[in-house]
Amino acid sequence: MEHKTCFHCGLDASTSEITFDEKSFCCNGCKTVYEIFTVNDLSCYYDLQQAPGATPKEIAGKYNFLDNPKIVEQLLEFNDDKTQIVTLYIPHIHCSSCIWILENLNKLNPEISDSTVNFGKKTVRVTYNSENILLKDLVTLLNSIGYEPFISLDDYSIGKKEINRSIIYKLGVAGFAFGNVMFLSFPEYFEVGEFWLEQYKHLFRWLMFFFSLPVVFYSAQDYFISAFKGLRSKILNIDVPIALGIIVLFTRSSAEIILNIGSGFFDSLTGLIFFLLLGKFFQQKTYSYLSFERDYKSYFPIGITKINEEKEESIQVYDIQKGDRLLIRNEELIPVDCILIKGKARIDYSFVTGESKTVSKQSGDKLFAGGKQLEGSIEVDVLKTVEQSYLTQLWSNDIFKKDKALAFTNITNSISKNFTIAVLSIAFLATAYWMFVDSNKALNVFTSVLIIACPCAIALAAPFTFGNILRILGKKKFYLKNASVIEQLSKINTIIFDKTGTITTNKETTINYEGLQLSQEEEILLKSTLRGSNHPLSRSLYDILNEHEILTLNDYKEHLGKGIEANYNNQNIKVGAASFVGHSMDTATLNTCVHISANNQYKGKFTFYNKYRKGLSKLFNRLKKDYDLVILSGDNEGEKDNLTKLLPTKTKLLFNQKPEDKLEYIKYHQTEGANVLMIGDGLNDAGALAQSNVGIAISENVNVFSPACDAILDASKFNQLHHYINISKSAIKIIKWSFLLSLIYNMIGLYFAVTGQLAPVIAAILMPLSSISIVVFTTIATNLLGRKID
Amino acid sequence: MEMQQFHYDNKIVTKFIYATIIFGVVGMLVGLILAFMFLFPNLTDGISWLSFGRLRPLHTNAVIFAFVGNAMFAGVYYSLQRLLKTRMASDLLSNINFWGWQLIIVAAAITLPLGITTSKEYAELEWPIDIAIALIWVVFGVNMIWTILKRRQRHLYVAVWFYIATFVTVAVLHIFNSLELPVSALKSYSVYAGVQDALVQWWYGHNAVAFFLTTPFLGLMYYFVPKAANRPVYSYRLSIVHFWSLIFIYIWAGPHHLLYTALPEWAQNLGVAFSVMLLMPSWGGMINGLLTLRGAWDKVRVDPVLKFLVVAITGYGMATFEGPTLSLKNVNAIAHFTDWIIAHVHVGALAWNGFMAFGIIYYLIPRLFKTKLYSLGLANLHFWLGTLGIIIYALPMYVAGFTQASMWKQFNPDGSLTYGNFLETVTEIIPMYWMRAIGGTLYIVGMLILVYNVIATVRSGSKVQDELAEAPALERVTKRRTANEGWHTWLERRPVQLTLLATVAILIGGIIQIVPTIMVKSNIPTIASVKPYTPLELEGRDIYIREGCVGCHSQMIRPFRSEVERYGEYSKAGEYVYDHPFLWGSKRTGPDLHRVGGKYSDNWHFNHMYDPQSTSSGSIMPRYPWLIKNELDKSQTEAKMKAMVSLGVPYSEEDIANAKAHMLEQGNMIEENLYTDPDFVKAYEADKKYALENGEAFIEMKNREIVAIIAYLQRLGTDIHVETAQN
Amino acid sequence: MSVIYILLAISIVVAIGFFIAFIMAVKSGQYDDSYTPSVRMLFEDELIKENSKKSILTKKE
Repeated sequence: MEHKTCFHCGLDASTSEITFDEKSFCCNGCKTVYEIFTVNDLSCYYDLQQAPGATPKEIAGKYNFLDNPKIVEQLLEFNDDKTQIVTLYIPHIHCSSCIWILENLNKLNPEISDSTVNFGKKTVRVTYNSENILLKDLVTLLNSIGYEPFISLDDYSIGKKEINRSIIYKLGVAGFAFGNVMFLSFPEYFEVGEFWLEQYKHLFRWLMFFFSLPVVFYSAQDYFISAFKGLRSKILNIDVPIALGIIVLFTRSSAEIILNIGSGFFDSLTGLIFFLLLGKFFQQKTYSYLSFERDYKSYFPIGITKINEEKEESIQVYDIQKGDRLLIRNEELIPVDCILIKGKARIDYSFVTGESKTVSKQSGDKLFAGGKQLEGSIEVDVLKTVEQSYLTQLWSNDIFKKDKALAFTNITNSISKNFTIAVLSIAFLATAYWMFVDSNKALNVFTSVLIIACPCAIALAAPFTFGNILRILGKKKFYLKNASVIEQLSKINTIIFDKTGTITTNKETTINYEGLQLSQEEEILLKSTLRGSNHPLSRSLYDILNEHEILTLNDYKEHLGKGIEANYNNQNIKVGAASFVGHSMDTATLNTCVHISANNQYKGKFTFYNKYRKGLSKLFNRLKKDYDLVILSGDNEGEKDNLTKLLPTKTKLLFNQKPEDKLEYIKYHQTEGANVLMIGDGLNDAGALAQSNVGIAISENVNVFSPACDAILDASKFNQLHHYINISKSAIKIIKWSFLLSLIYNMIGLYFAVTGQLAPVIAAILMPLSSISIVVFTTIATNLLGRKID
Repeated sequence: MEMQQFHYDNKIVTKFIYATIIFGVVGMLVGLILAFMFLFPNLTDGISWLSFGRLRPLHTNAVIFAFVGNAMFAGVYYSLQRLLKTRMASDLLSNINFWGWQLIIVAAAITLPLGITTSKEYAELEWPIDIAIALIWVVFGVNMIWTILKRRQRHLYVAVWFYIATFVTVAVLHIFNSLELPVSALKSYSVYAGVQDALVQWWYGHNAVAFFLTTPFLGLMYYFVPKAANRPVYSYRLSIVHFWSLIFIYIWAGPHHLLYTALPEWAQNLGVAFSVMLLMPSWGGMINGLLTLRGAWDKVRVDPVLKFLVVAITGYGMATFEGPTLSLKNVNAIAHFTDWIIAHVHVGALAWNGFMAFGIIYYLIPRLFKTKLYSLGLANLHFWLGTLGIIIYALPMYVAGFTQASMWKQFNPDGSLTYGNFLETVTEIIPMYWMRAIGGTLYIVGMLILVYNVIATVRSGSKVQDELAEAPALERVTKRRTANEGWHTWLERRPVQLTLLATVAILIGGIIQIVPTIMVKSNIPTIASVKPYTPLELEGRDIYIREGCVGCHSQMIRPFRSEVERYGEYSKAGEYVYDHPFLWGSKRTGPDLHRVGGKYSDNWHFNHMYDPQSTSSGSIMPRYPWLIKNELDKSQTEAKMKAMVSLGVPYSEEDIANAKAHMLEQGNMIEENLYTDPDFVKAYEADKKYALENGEAFIEMKNREIVAIIAYLQRLGTDIHVETAQN
Repeated sequence: MSVIYILLAISIVVAIGFFIAFIMAVKSGQYDDSYTPSVRMLFEDELIKENSKKSILTKKE
């Protein structure tokens, strides 16, 4: 059969027999979307991009919570009697077709008056007439065309969020003033004492003064504030000398024009602030579609169905009370710890542990928050509210309250301390000297030193280097929360890995068979038997067994939580737990296995092992030279032998670690002076990730799932880890070099300053020159660095 | 809110395209004629209204305002509607804009050959037309801003910003440069004098280039390049930065056109500094444009539209690199007044504006007429002819420029000029002028091919219809919404309203600022010996203006040894205080005339005007026989003097009262001088006798225009000598 | 040279005018999304675009 791909979503459509006007589709969902588009003559969706679509999901009842007006109100950005505006996050947005179709929603439903996509943020902002269409209808519509929005507890009261653009304003003001002041200051550099210049220079000077006012008092305010904070907490951070420089520049310049003794340094002043803000702006590389702040909220549903007296109503998760009876539908997340009352539960805890294998539960069993029900709907009784639940209470740990960036003094500040002291002492010495030699020059010298020593270039080195590195790493699918992470990363000496989902993939598992060789018939029978069950273990086992004709069994029984039993002719087979197949002397292995017995004779067992990520052991061997390697696993010791085989001997292996244990372990080692890099994936690692100096979350799909962390690493790049760490180290080197460079400029400047011959023009040349050369140097250096990897 | 259906106004676009093509051909043909006049000076022998001096401004105006202007309108009217998802606000205004603009062009085409001109480059048109331009321009602006206000697309695409900037700045520039005091319906004097006039003129002159030839076309680039390549612009963020940085810097760059002139040094240097800075935003734009096509070069190979656009952008890059280079003082010292400048502007005009226009035309015509282009082959042929034309035009002009510059500046060991006779420097570069003419011809042939191709396409196509489109309206915003949402539609409108307010504010503020300038007698330190022109000289000066002498002769001797050696004492700001308008000129096809006064005899001037080649063989100056025949119109002399008085020129009451008498007196003196030449006497008496016999009215020599122009030329630059004699 | 006053006044007023426009534009969220608009402008929204589309396609080959 020739290979066909789905016209809508591009997946393989060879097996499916679905075709519609000469186009083949992988499933009816895709076909339906195609039909919707053709009917509303939106088929141009497929012209812009080849097979841009996604298959719509089954969401019956999933969005019932949107019937609850209280919940809806929380999601809306704006709501008046007629019109409602909501901004929805749609992970699937990825191409121009997406933009086109989502901005043409009103062709699908005239009640939608406007829909604007923000490609960077992967959001669509929809305005619709709430009299004739509800949010739920909108969501259903979006899902029906394969653009299911992702709504979580995080979106709670999204509408109140305000975008902060102050940095752009400040930059704009500074840039504008800088341009004009430059224009006004140049004439006096070009020529002195020309007839007309004499007429105009006063006007020019005063204009410069007025242009500089908003720059000093608005654009530069952050530096004053931060400097003040620093001083109050007895830290000489980089902003102290900067603020000092700005103040001196401004006062001296103003004094000069008021007393009419010179043109002042307004161009240097505005230029300085402009460049500083530019650096700040540049460093703010944000991945608008990623979130580093995610906690359980980002994954928990906003609303849940509560049952009282056989009546269903959807309530907000926060309103869940102890003792409530909840209805959890298929594919829904369990928001609280509870007891299973009704229905068969198969829970997938991969959100929590990264463990992809599901666990079955009978009524009466305890279910933990964060699990996802996979098999039909169940009813549960609430044991604890959201905040007190096993998983969520992790967040009450105060580690989540403090901001890492403040915790350590960054490289710039650490050198600025000595720098400031040096500058001040030079200033005073020089002044003192001139006091004796030529006292009326003293003040001039004092201010000049402070002006010229203003560490503009130093302050720029870090932002531009880090900013660039951030971008480079981002291209390589390693997304950092902010610049300080790079610095932290360069310092680490201990690397701790979570096991499941981190060094193992969630996708596949490996299965070994040990025991007696199964006969042809037995294998056929086994396969046919497994076919009946939809237990994940059965399925994965079914997949690895080689193809056979399928028998129609005389009799097939599934014993919940034990296993399955089947008869064919006089053949009997049992598949399941050791006890179930009547295998007494079970070697107490901790790995999940499925035992087989045919005609009450024990045959053997299939053992399921985790599959480890590609290049794992190579990576560990690379890292072992420079770092202590630890594996903290929440699971039992089943994999211990495997790991010891796989990993360098000195690697510490710890199992059965609860989330708190992981956190405490790291805390302990930090007190021992370790700088810890934690790499995990599940919500249960969140505490550890927060506690560690750098917490990296591994993610198979960066824009859907990852716990709170400092950086997100695309799973496919896991074996590149050591490269990334090395880059951060070289970044620090680059910065140190640029410090040296800028110090040279300061020296040159200081010469003029100390000798009391600092003309505005010199400052005007030195300052931009130093700044620009730093920017150029760092940019080139970092780009070369980026070349080296990949 | 329900979908709204509306029609894009394609008809107006089509009209503007037709106008573009027609005036393109005209403007280029005039240019070609001028090119050949360098080779055959007397090509249009004796026909005053076809003389070089009068056609040159026609060429520049036709190309800039008719060809490029209409192309700009066509592009803007097409893209604006689609970027804002709405029809132009008012069809009436659209049509007023179109027809008004064409009328202005026709008016220019009539007045300029008749010698009705202010002589300020790119602003030659007289005051009534200036007013018309202002009005039509405002109509355009109102129409555009109104359209922006009723748009259905929240975001203003970067191109729209470029259009807004174009409107506001050009309005301001035009109004302030055209402040002139009318004497009669067709004659006015610039309110500024000498240096100031020069400064304003070139502040305008440069920014006209900036905001009429560049910003709108950058906007068009940001629309048509992505459209034609069907891929988003390389970096939209960069384009935004590009716009704002360009806007904040461009306005300052004017004075670099006046380097080494009597303009204060610091003002010159300021111009230089900012011109150099301009390189960054300009190239930002160019790179963004070119990178948009990265990975689409296969398309470029097959699609003539993209070909034209690519070369256009490249041309822009070259021109904007050359510009800052030329504004460096030492480069400018060489290039200024030479043919290098001609090459520079034509790279800009032919490559950037011309090819952008062609690209846009080839893009729009098939769409407007719902058909495919008649012949890709012809379009490609046009492309190659055009490109070849540009090269063959530009390169020789560069060579010519260098040759002139070096010959002007060469000295013999003994310290005398190697080429003391200016003519040698002219005859030397005649071959270059030939090649230029050939290059120009190629370019026009290409243009004609476009005409044919377009006609054929239009024939094959269906009638132009306004395209139906639909989009939901931007709903109005209630108080409450503005309270808690990020987008504020009402704030959105602000930038638009602000551009209006800004314009108004500037106008008012500007007027207030300007009053003192006009009132102040003269705010340049006057040199005692510098006196106002006599009535006859004044009339002579107006003839000098009328004939467009300033097109080939500068009146600005720069303080270089070579120039002082060749022309005499370098020019001082104080010498120009009574020059309304200034006549510094920007090109030296002929020698500088600032110190020509007293250099030659009146007879020499007489003969030279009658037949330049007779006095200076090999001269490429055309004959001006009509100056010698025509009677001097003295009817307005007093009015002119009065106007000058109100502009601060110190004519006394009786000066004005005795104007006629004084003119006669000075005329007589010149006539007597002319009598010293027997040939002249013979010819003159013969005419007189002939007239008497046939009873025709005979105009005495002293009453003819030639006398006035001689009087003016003999006066030029002579005041200063008196001064040097005194101290 | 009092013309300098005029030019200065004009230049600065124009510049300030545009500067205010800039601030307003940023404030109104014009530049919150610096990518999508560049794609959006590529979409043809004419209803009867078949023939015009064809003309482009045929032109390409």
